[in-house]
Amino acid sequence: MGQGVHVTELPGVGTRYDVDLTDDENRVSVVVRPGGTRYLYVFATRSAEPTAVLELTDEQARKLAAVLSATFYEG
Amino acid sequence: MHADLVGLGAVLLLAALVARGARRVGLPSVPCYMLVGILLGPGTPGPVLIEHPDDLSVLAALGLVLLLFHLGVEFPLEQVVGGGRRLFLAAACYIGLNITAGLIFGFSLGWGGAEALVVAGALGISSSAIATKLLIELQRLTNAETPVILGIIVIEDLFLAFYLALLSPVLSGADSPGALAGHIALSFGFLVVLFAVARWGARAVGGLIGSREDELLAVAAIGLAVLVAGLSDEVGVSDAIGALMVGLVVSRTRFRERVERIVLPLRDVLATVFFVAFGLTIDVGDLGGVAVPALIAVAVTVVTNVTAGVLAARLFGFNQRGAANIGLTVLARGEFSLILVTLAIAAGLDARLGPFVALYVLLLAVTAPLLAAGSRYLARVMPDWLLRSDWTYVREETISTSCTHLDQIRVTSTDAAACRGCEELGTDWVQLRLCTTCGHVGCCDDSPHQHSRRHAEEARHPVIQSAEPGEDWRFCFIDDTLVRAPMGRSRDKR
Repeated sequence: MGQGVHVTELPGVGTRYDVDLTDDENRVSVVVRPGGTRYLYVFATRSAEPTAVLELTDEQARKLAAVLSATFYEG
Repeated sequence: MHADLVGLGAVLLLAALVARGARRVGLPSVPCYMLVGILLGPGTPGPVLIEHPDDLSVLAALGLVLLLFHLGVEFPLEQVVGGGRRLFLAAACYIGLNITAGLIFGFSLGWGGAEALVVAGALGISSSAIATKLLIELQRLTNAETPVILGIIVIEDLFLAFYLALLSPVLSGADSPGALAGHIALSFGFLVVLFAVARWGARAVGGLIGSREDELLAVAAIGLAVLVAGLSDEVGVSDAIGALMVGLVVSRTRFRERVERIVLPLRDVLATVFFVAFGLTIDVGDLGGVAVPALIAVAVTVVTNVTAGVLAARLFGFNQRGAANIGLTVLARGEFSLILVTLAIAAGLDARLGPFVALYVLLLAVTAPLLAAGSRYLARVMPDWLLRSDWTYVREETISTSCTHLDQIRVTSTDAAACRGCEELGTDWVQLRLCTTCGHVGCCDDSPHQHSRRHAEEARHPVIQSAEPGEDWRFCFIDDTLVRAPMGRSRDKR
């Protein structure tokens, strides 16, 4: 994976990607399950408790990814 | 032949509705299925939906086979083998403590030696399904200790195969030590054969069951699973091992993901029948007689799990939160305890085992999720001396720093202002790095000789720190990641 993305295997659950936003407070982790379900963990404070956790289906994750990567927007 | 479809359908539907209600409040589903079986069975006053539990025996047997077959198919062998020695050590601590405590408790019940072995297994092997669901629901997938928890429960699943291999000769009722030894040899020989097939025969097995159509693949895979389970039963090894091992074999073929996906709904339905059928055999009146042993067993389980959690935390250098989370998440018991006790009852062991394990599983089903959710209260009262004195996590931080070698940080400052290796060669360097394990100072990766990296590789010291003035970042060579500086106050006893 690219710079600043750290991959951890979670046996029996899937794969975890920790995205380093090179920012003390903000952090994002994504857990991908074999079935395609994604858990999006957002940390916006220094606390160990995530600020928000979203469970996304494969389709929802693709939609979000398209918007985030700016390959999709309505002009 | 008359099949009691009305009773079966009604029981399954009710089981699903009860489990749905329980899931809403965060309770596990497996004990609910069993509870429905207990309440609507012939052993309990009130409405009886299924008069003769034996009517379900074939379906329940299929449920047991599919439960273990699917466990084998989805077994993440590579991830466990790649988990490293420390993970195996942590799992060995966990399993050793739980099985030993279970054995002592089992023998002190005075029900008999074979019964004690069953009790040890039922108390010792946790439910991977419940623990995994708990981690997802409590939003702890990114915690530093979570890979350790998942690793431990997966190794436990593997341990189950060995435990079954050990248990089935004992349950076979061999009376002389020679016959028993013969049975154990046969049992483990069977394991070895299936391991060998998994290792070298996966292609052939893939050729046997493989098909492009899901329908044919499902029928062939389940046919093979049931056949091997039945054969292992014939040779005197329990069908449970056969099913688990043939699942492992299938997991080595290229059909693994598809088999896993198409067998899953079938497994869920038939495993529910298995849990309900177990519940049907329980007489509610017997539960009172085993209440005290079951309560003690729950207490024993909580104590051994927390102890194992502390040991694992020491091994990995986690703090109180990590220790409490490991100990209290792996608490729930479910499918494996019920499988073991079903085998025991089929072998004609002490009849008290059934109600005892049923009550034990029910009690833990309610307490385990509550305790796991409240693990921070345990973390608050856990004294520092229980954990490693040089842990580098600060009390509140359990977020993964992605590096698992923080426990090897011993040196954090240096007076050295030169790279010795470069001085000897008479070359220049760019920046200096400090080895946090032994204090070696060498030149950075931008320097021509990269003495710091070379030292790390030769001495196997994972983490370096910048030795440049004003910089305090660290880098782990093994995990290839920047290690964040610990937040807040760090505990320094030196």
